[in-house]
Amino acid sequence: MAASLMDHLLTLLVVIPVAGLIPLVVFFRDARAVKQVAIVTTFIELVVSLVMLAQFHVGEAGFQLTESAAWLPSFGIRYELGVDGISVLLIPMTTLLTFISVLYSSGGAIKERIGEFMAAFLLLEVGMVGVFMALDLFLFYVFFELMLVPMYLIIGIWGGPRRVYATLKFVLFTLAGSLLMLVGIIAVYLQSGEAGDRTLSLPELLTRSDRFPPDFQFWVFLAFGLAFAIKMPMFPFHTWLPDAHVEAPTAGSIVLAGVLLKAGGYGFLRFAVPLFPIGTQAWLPILILLSVVAILYGAVVSVVQKDLKKLVAYSSVAHMGFVTLGIFVLNQQGGVGAVLQMLNHGFVTGALFLFVGIQYEKTHRRQIADLGGLANQWPLYTAFFGVFTLASLGLPGLNGFVGEFLVLLGTFKFNPVGGPGGLFWGPLAALGVILAAVYLLWMFQRVMFGTLREAYRALPDLSPLEVACAVPLLVLTVLLGVFPQPAIAIIAPSVQRALAIATHASAVVLK
Amino acid sequence: MTIDDVITILPEIAVTVTASLVLVADAILDRKVARTWLPLLVVLGLVVAIFTGPMIVASHTAFGGFVVVDTFTAFFRVLFCVLAIFATVVAPEYLERRQIPAAEFYATILFSTVGAMTIALATDLITVFIGLELMTIPIYVLAGMSRRDRYSNEAALKYFLLGAFSSALLLYGFAWLYGLAGTTTFAGIAAALAVHGLTDGATLVALALVTVGLAFKAAVVPFHQWTPDAYDGAPTPATAFMSVAPKAAAFAAILRLMIGSLGPLGLDWSAVFAILAALTMTGGNVVALVQGNVKRMLAYSSIAHTGYILAGVAAYQAGASASAAVLFYVFAYGIMNLGAFACLIYLDLDGTRGATLDELNGFARRKPAGALAFAVFLVSLTGIPPTIGFVAKVFILQPVLDAGLVWLAVVIALNAVLAAFYYLRVVVHLYMYDADANAPRLLRTDLLSAGLGIAGLAVVVIGILPDGLYRWALAAAAPFVLR
Repeated sequence: MAASLMDHLLTLLVVIPVAGLIPLVVFFRDARAVKQVAIVTTFIELVVSLVMLAQFHVGEAGFQLTESAAWLPSFGIRYELGVDGISVLLIPMTTLLTFISVLYSSGGAIKERIGEFMAAFLLLEVGMVGVFMALDLFLFYVFFELMLVPMYLIIGIWGGPRRVYATLKFVLFTLAGSLLMLVGIIAVYLQSGEAGDRTLSLPELLTRSDRFPPDFQFWVFLAFGLAFAIKMPMFPFHTWLPDAHVEAPTAGSIVLAGVLLKAGGYGFLRFAVPLFPIGTQAWLPILILLSVVAILYGAVVSVVQKDLKKLVAYSSVAHMGFVTLGIFVLNQQGGVGAVLQMLNHGFVTGALFLFVGIQYEKTHRRQIADLGGLANQWPLYTAFFGVFTLASLGLPGLNGFVGEFLVLLGTFKFNPVGGPGGLFWGPLAALGVILAAVYLLWMFQRVMFGTLREAYRALPDLSPLEVACAVPLLVLTVLLGVFPQPAIAIIAPSVQRALAIATHASAVVLK
Repeated sequence: MTIDDVITILPEIAVTVTASLVLVADAILDRKVARTWLPLLVVLGLVVAIFTGPMIVASHTAFGGFVVVDTFTAFFRVLFCVLAIFATVVAPEYLERRQIPAAEFYATILFSTVGAMTIALATDLITVFIGLELMTIPIYVLAGMSRRDRYSNEAALKYFLLGAFSSALLLYGFAWLYGLAGTTTFAGIAAALAVHGLTDGATLVALALVTVGLAFKAAVVPFHQWTPDAYDGAPTPATAFMSVAPKAAAFAAILRLMIGSLGPLGLDWSAVFAILAALTMTGGNVVALVQGNVKRMLAYSSIAHTGYILAGVAAYQAGASASAAVLFYVFAYGIMNLGAFACLIYLDLDGTRGATLDELNGFARRKPAGALAFAVFLVSLTGIPPTIGFVAKVFILQPVLDAGLVWLAVVIALNAVLAAFYYLRVVVHLYMYDADANAPRLLRTDLLSAGLGIAGLAVVVIGILPDGLYRWALAAAAPFVLR
């Protein structure tokens, strides 16, 4: 029994949150029981994901722990799961952030309809975990879309005053992209072979890349790219993000920034680049340009934000710019940096949203101008928040630095055939790091220092629950900053493999 | 007529007998007894009908070539019976509240079902026409069943006038076809048209008339004008049924006639369908966007779904997968659209009026299970996984792309975004706003909830495991593989 469970760890990760829904529905009316069920379920999920990580063989580039079963035999579509270095760290990140979100939300942040909230969160977790494990494009799409409705409800029901506008915008933007990707997926399916031999299995498709001619790649990359670019979000598709973040409840913001955005970057690296290397090359100048614009634009707009949560949201746009930049410079350092940046952004921005949320719960103010002087009042809060702010701006020794540094390194090495190269883009992107220091430190100064408002004098510092939520993130932030080598050792072979496949495939097609 | 002929149409006979039994039982049974037992009798009769028609049979004709039973017939027989069962189960509480005679309602649904089933049997123009009339005439009655309601009357009259008009067009087209081929059998027409080709002016006239006639029945833009008023004014359970069964039957006729017998000309004709499909989905969705009344919005959105299905017809050069996609979509549409309309039955409003968006505010708190079912149907209609509506859309997109209609696939995708806006806006009102003092009362509805629960579960389960249904649709489409 135990052995067979170990063979199906990935399926287990999909099943556990679904199984958690059953007791949740049974005890639907009992708020206490609902919270306990959700916490236990997400905790078990977290533990299983760590077991999964422990089973992973570091240094191997290919997919591991794979599972494959016929799902839609008439179409040759398979239920195919697997992890490699690119995805294996994102899964525990997802389960950890989900666990923290659920834990924090059960502490009183969500006051009504807690049963529905936790049900939405468990469903969301299925989609989020599944996205990083699916190796069949159809299955990937199903998980990708599965994240949509729960998040729609989470923002729309438990969000702020303009929640309905924000959530509809979020869903429509995302759907517009993903439905075009669906057309692209079906086009790939039809192109993958003769009738009866068609497939959407990624490992299989990678061996058939000679079947995708340049023209086809150009358009299908566009279809995939739009979906991922909206999800990331890349400039200029980012306009849904600030609205969604500002209105979302804290837990929603944590997973939205921490996990959902990663689905876009992950999609690029996992599917779009290896499958359509020529399409990637064709769009490369625009993608690099948009990435750098996102870095600079996100930073500049963050500087002028008056709303604390909006500031963190815009900083995400800039950080995601580093992810896409790292992916599209198409070299080892950039790719590894991009994956690390996704991971680090998950922990750090997740934590920042958590702390903005904690602060809002206490003061009921989010305008930076209304805050100030909290440092003396909340020493513990200030210490945590300070570390995460520093990590976010890329201070060496904390995790944010590692990813951005590698991306910048990759960018400087970027040497395209035509157009400006790394020496042009590198300094521009580096400017983004400096701007990050400006807006984050300035924000920290205005929120934490200065004179304390009279109204905030009685507000308590972090509660034990809030500390419990923050500590794992803090540990990881420091650990990954001081000691990133194990993570890089996991990520690097698979990134190298993905890039090698892309190079090989484009050579085959162009031959 | 031999005994063999009779056995061939046993399911149709079973449904007819059930309808007659319902009417008789209503006359002799005590009112209270009738209230509980009549729906049960109807369901029982329909279940018998499902099981008397063997699921997969080798194609054979009966009644001297007027009727054919094949895998296609079997598929539609089951579909129509399932839809009739669903429509029966959701109705009783509503009918009682509005004082609509229940037995007549059930019997009318059953007669209409027989008509729809007859279309699936057709291998001759005359059978098609008999089936169409047998199906639609009861529906005129259904639409007007809330006799004292102004809108119900309007619905019935509009539906009747335009239905009669389209029947006349269709019949005229049939007459031209007969004139061309000298026979009314599909096989004969196919053979004659293969010789003529599309260059012939008379063939064009015949095809145009038949297309327009069937387009009216299926509510294809620009022949859809009757739909919103007819759907909106009819009693809601009747709307639920008439929005799905006649449409499914119209597509059965389109497949049988346009692909089965006009197949030789299809390559030229499919462009017409592709353009009509794009017009229909876009037209339906754009108008649905601005509706404040949910029933009317669903009426327009059902036009949009006609467009998606028609896209599958347009792509039929792609082979069996196109016809199978049409069948699968028709099935999926039947369940989810009937379900969505039926969810409106919960709200106890005056007359046949459907709820406005605001009247749905806070529904999720007042009726959590009902709201969940409603949300599932809406998500499925939008085409988001894991629902039957999503896989249905994938199955349609596949042959459309395979047939090289990339532009149509993109139009479908963009339309799905439009549709998402208005479908999900309903979810907003269900879940994200609170009910105010003007919120309508809710009907006591155990049977409705049970029916919706089963249908909602089916939507999700088939959405996750669609292979069985798809294989069945593929088998049912076998008669239409281009030869």
